[in-house]
Amino acid sequence: MTNGWTDVSNADVVLVMGGNPAENHPVGFRFVMEAKRLRKAKIVCVDPRFTRTAAVSDLYVPIRSGTDIAFLGGLIHYALSENKYQRKYVEQHTNASFLIAEGFGFSEGHFSGWQDGKYDKSTWQYELDGQGYAKVDPTLEHPRCVFQLMKKHYSRYTPEVVANICGCTAEEFLKAAAMITLAAAENKSGTVLYALGWTHHSFAVQLIHAAAMVQLLMGNIGMPGGGVNAQRGHANIQGSTDMGAWNYLPGYLKLPRANQTALVDYLKANTPKPLRPNSLNYWGNTPKFMTSLLKAYYGPNATAANSYGYDWLPKIAEGADHSWGTFFDEMDAGKMEGLISFGMNPVANGPNTPKMIRGLSKLKWLIVAENFETETAAFWRAKELADKEYPHSLKAEDIQTEVFLLPAACFAEKDGSFVNSSRWLQWKQVAVDPPGEARRDQEIIADLFLAIRALYEKEGGKGAEPLLRMQWNYARPHAPTLREVAREVNGVDLATGKQLNGFGELQADGTTACGNWIYSGSWPEAGNQMARRGQVDPTGLGLYPEWAWSWPANRRILYNRASTDEQGKPWDATRAPLRWNGQRWAGDTPDYKADAKPDSLAAFVMLPEGVARLFAPDLVEGPFPEHYEPAESPVENALHPNANANPLLRVYRSDLDSLGSAKDFPFVAITYRLTEHFHYWTKHTSSSAELQSNFFVEVPEELASEKGIASGTLVRVSSARGELEGPALVTKRLRTLKVSGRKVYQIGLPIHWGFVGKVHGPLINKLTPSAYDPNCGTPEYKGFLVNLEKIG
Amino acid sequence: MTVAKLIDTTLCIGCKACEVACQEWNDQEYTLGTFGGTYQTMPDLAHNFWNLIKFNEMERDGGTSWLMSKYQCMHCAEAGCLAACPAPGAIVARPNGTIDFVQDNCIGCGYCITGCPFDVPRLSPTTKKVYKCSLCSDRTAVGLEPACIKTCPTNCLTFGERDELVRIAEARSTELKADGFADAGVYNPQGVGGTNVLYVLKHASEPEQYGLPKDPQIPLSVSLWKGPMKWLGTLMFWGTILGTFVHFVIYGPQDPAKHGHPEKEDEPSERA
Amino acid sequence: MSEPEEIRIPRFDAYERVMHWMAALSFGYATLTGLAIWSPKLYWMGTMLGGGFHIRGTHPWSGVVFAVMIGVMFRRWAAGMGLDADDRVWLTRLHKYATHDHGALPPSGRFNAGQKMLFWSQVATTLALFATGVVLWFPESMPRPLRLASIALHPLAAIGSITSILVHIYMGTAAVPQSMRAMLRGYVVPEWARFHHPKWYRAWRASHRS
Repeated sequence: MTNGWTDVSNADVVLVMGGNPAENHPVGFRFVMEAKRLRKAKIVCVDPRFTRTAAVSDLYVPIRSGTDIAFLGGLIHYALSENKYQRKYVEQHTNASFLIAEGFGFSEGHFSGWQDGKYDKSTWQYELDGQGYAKVDPTLEHPRCVFQLMKKHYSRYTPEVVANICGCTAEEFLKAAAMITLAAAENKSGTVLYALGWTHHSFAVQLIHAAAMVQLLMGNIGMPGGGVNAQRGHANIQGSTDMGAWNYLPGYLKLPRANQTALVDYLKANTPKPLRPNSLNYWGNTPKFMTSLLKAYYGPNATAANSYGYDWLPKIAEGADHSWGTFFDEMDAGKMEGLISFGMNPVANGPNTPKMIRGLSKLKWLIVAENFETETAAFWRAKELADKEYPHSLKAEDIQTEVFLLPAACFAEKDGSFVNSSRWLQWKQVAVDPPGEARRDQEIIADLFLAIRALYEKEGGKGAEPLLRMQWNYARPHAPTLREVAREVNGVDLATGKQLNGFGELQADGTTACGNWIYSGSWPEAGNQMARRGQVDPTGLGLYPEWAWSWPANRRILYNRASTDEQGKPWDATRAPLRWNGQRWAGDTPDYKADAKPDSLAAFVMLPEGVARLFAPDLVEGPFPEHYEPAESPVENALHPNANANPLLRVYRSDLDSLGSAKDFPFVAITYRLTEHFHYWTKHTSSSAELQSNFFVEVPEELASEKGIASGTLVRVSSARGELEGPALVTKRLRTLKVSGRKVYQIGLPIHWGFVGKVHGPLINKLTPSAYDPNCGTPEYKGFLVNLEKIG
Repeated sequence: MTVAKLIDTTLCIGCKACEVACQEWNDQEYTLGTFGGTYQTMPDLAHNFWNLIKFNEMERDGGTSWLMSKYQCMHCAEAGCLAACPAPGAIVARPNGTIDFVQDNCIGCGYCITGCPFDVPRLSPTTKKVYKCSLCSDRTAVGLEPACIKTCPTNCLTFGERDELVRIAEARSTELKADGFADAGVYNPQGVGGTNVLYVLKHASEPEQYGLPKDPQIPLSVSLWKGPMKWLGTLMFWGTILGTFVHFVIYGPQDPAKHGHPEKEDEPSERA
Repeated sequence: MSEPEEIRIPRFDAYERVMHWMAALSFGYATLTGLAIWSPKLYWMGTMLGGGFHIRGTHPWSGVVFAVMIGVMFRRWAAGMGLDADDRVWLTRLHKYATHDHGALPPSGRFNAGQKMLFWSQVATTLALFATGVVLWFPESMPRPLRLASIALHPLAAIGSITSILVHIYMGTAAVPQSMRAMLRGYVVPEWARFHHPKWYRAWRASHRS
């Protein structure tokens, strides 16, 4: 979240799209209800299903799964053509005025530079002046400025086109657009709440980019009650992203590539240069972040002479990708030896379950550290436990994978921090000790590490150094405490031995060590800031600066400098998170230099442009989001039939990776969570098992009556990957949509069941495709094609 | 002081947190829910499930509507269950307005089930006693709010002094009316003297849409049974006992020798 | 020389006597437990009989036993319980019976019209008690309208039933000497039979002579 849960109550408009917070974030949703109750905020819910969120919204608009970019593109068009955007904000705080290179364009579904299935992005760049700064036209009139290009790009997204693609009516769209653009007024702000309904698409990153564009046009970024707010789906998923997931090191430092053989190469590639004279360009400090990280990893072994141990960091091949789809594809192809799975249940939550199971069965070993025997730990028994479900699985005796199920402590049996959606690091205490032989994760990892290192010490071997040089400075090496780890993560001044107060103190000369620069300040000399529970609210905006600690620098609203104009005058005086008092910025921790005069620097200090990107040249499939159909779609792309799906859609080619067509699979399926369950976990607990014991298939009323299906009727849902059975839940809440002149039905599939636990049911991901977003590798769990048959 | 619970249905998101809190606090055994074709945990309340969110989906006002409402004991001022209960001390109206079931005194007749106009009490097949929401009397007795209130994430549930809550509810419904919900109102049915569970409804003239009875009352037959029937019975029994006694005192037993004999001439000869 | 043997006219055979006393016992139990449930003032009777929870379990079963016994009686006696012309006159002269003016009454058969009325009233109230009792027995599986009706009808029928049984007890004990012997030992003496049930007595004598 750019803002935070408590801040949602400052909103005048709440757009809930690609998320269902009433069901999946009910506690956070209290702030939506506060906004509704106390500020009379308008809640607009755009969703394929009429959800529990829709039930309390002021306006619900149905939409076909996977057409969100069309809807948001329509909003951009509406805002620009109806002059319902915050002009001054757009001029001052976005790259609307930046000129783009000659030759940039878009036709037939592709941006300029499309050739042989690839993009040459040379025309997507800013036009630079002699000093390397981007040229701008503050009037926004230049035909090659971002504003004009954007206007042109979205001129195709008229309400009728949007309705035709999304399946709502043009009137519904216009009603929503009018409500959402209320936030264009300087003294109004609107928030966007999204979750996996946006990220589970093969164009997920572009989708969120589109939302950011809408919010920038409304002047909502940096504003209390504004922002683009991802509702994270697990207690600490934000923390796991922050600490380095996929191809990132902690603090969103990129993982080195194989061609960056020296630290200088890495730093050169990853340290941006300012693109405007007034840009602070905070990522210019990358050398400080990286060096301090290496010092935290390798301690005294990291010296200037050995580039702080840079060579010991693993590197990935240029262009290689180790995201979910790829590594399971490689596993399935027999290219992987083993997998350690902590708190992760790929058999249940990976797409295309049969491929997950087959992949695991090709490993030599699998380590699962879990509270329960999960589907992944029990994958070798899939046939035995759910024969009907997994007829193609191997029998246990034919699987050679050696599976180790390590009993791990659950969250209440560990201390440490959770990082919530608001970016708050909240320290928690141990409630009870782990039962039986269960151990805490860090103890399991420490034992593994020490045992492997001892083997390397004894026997030697390839790539021994990363382990041998690793710093392991814990009082009890086999059982590091999370307090020790948290202090390491915060960082320390190696000269004085004192905890750092924040990332501003980091150095690139090896005199500071810091495990994650964005968390620096969470445990300074003053003590554990994450354990704070102060409830003071000096701004009156519900920012609670003394409750826990928020990254970065305890800032509660990211980009908060943009809540004022260039001169430092708040857009809305009643809702100013920051005020310039003549010497300093007061209020929230400024996302700015604390003592920099308002007009001295541009507002978006993290970006080399100094302003926010409406035009984002770093994304792989285009600088502007464009509507593409999901990998499996019931209709042709109405905008450009020749570029139907994402041109850079990532798919795999094993025999299990098939995609279906509307001829065989005419219905759109969506997968989702229910309030009552958390993922595939709570089916092991009595209370959640009671609240929602049964798997069901949600079927629209009209389709049900066509097929003679009533609630409770047993139905079969099949996709190109597999099929499953369950009772139907016939509902009015899934509306029949009219798309490109024909009826489209959507089928709802809640995800929470499996073949172990107190309640059993089919694994939904048997049906989902191995189709992935090319930017981040997220699978397309939503908006794929299925068939529905009545069987009972 | 009478306490009450306010349920602002316009803020209910059907998250069921109150259901879990109720189960946990009251230490209920968990059973598997029954699939009834809705999102409801189970189709109805149960002896070990006292608090159910009902999901009512419908088409109205030109769109889909999904009304969620919390269903539990209403703690009526004039409680039908209490009126119907034959076992002294089994159903108690606490001074704070809570209608509490005391299972130690419950005989399991189930009259309360019939007497309740909201169909709330449930008989346990194992203990053969009746159970329902106690308004967490074990919490309220020590100044805590009921478990469901404590857990509600959206401020849909409030607990407090009844008069104050009635004021809050009225204010909220006025607010809703101003927001365009002309039919908004408070559900506090007078047929049972008002309830200590109050609802704010968007469609107050159609409480049935939320699964609430429009005009709940203590059933006539229960009133008859507890009132006139008692008098009638007492009159009849004592009247008969007294009547026969007086009859005996006046007339004495029937005696063939004294009271004439319709067939004297017909003396049997066997004895001769 | 011994006293001449008393002449014994068999009035109720063993089957009838057992049937009656089983009915009586179950009725008594159902009445005591029913009254305990009926009124908090009489709840102590339930406490004496094992407590409210216990009697809630046993009361319906005693009702079942009673109803079955009434059924047995019906099979045995219903045929003879029709009112003949004498009975109808008898009923119009009930006050004569109550004031011991037996000369003013038409002769009765094995059962006089009052007894017949008792029989039919018990059949009727038992039917009502049984039907409503079953409804109240299983409150969770019965539709609410039925339960509501039963809550009022069950005690109403009980009031009728108990009242008539009170009269019956009075008649069978204090009011008509020797009738208890008929139900305990099974016989009456000719004098009693002739006085109370002349037509029945005549029939007995006729059959006895032949």
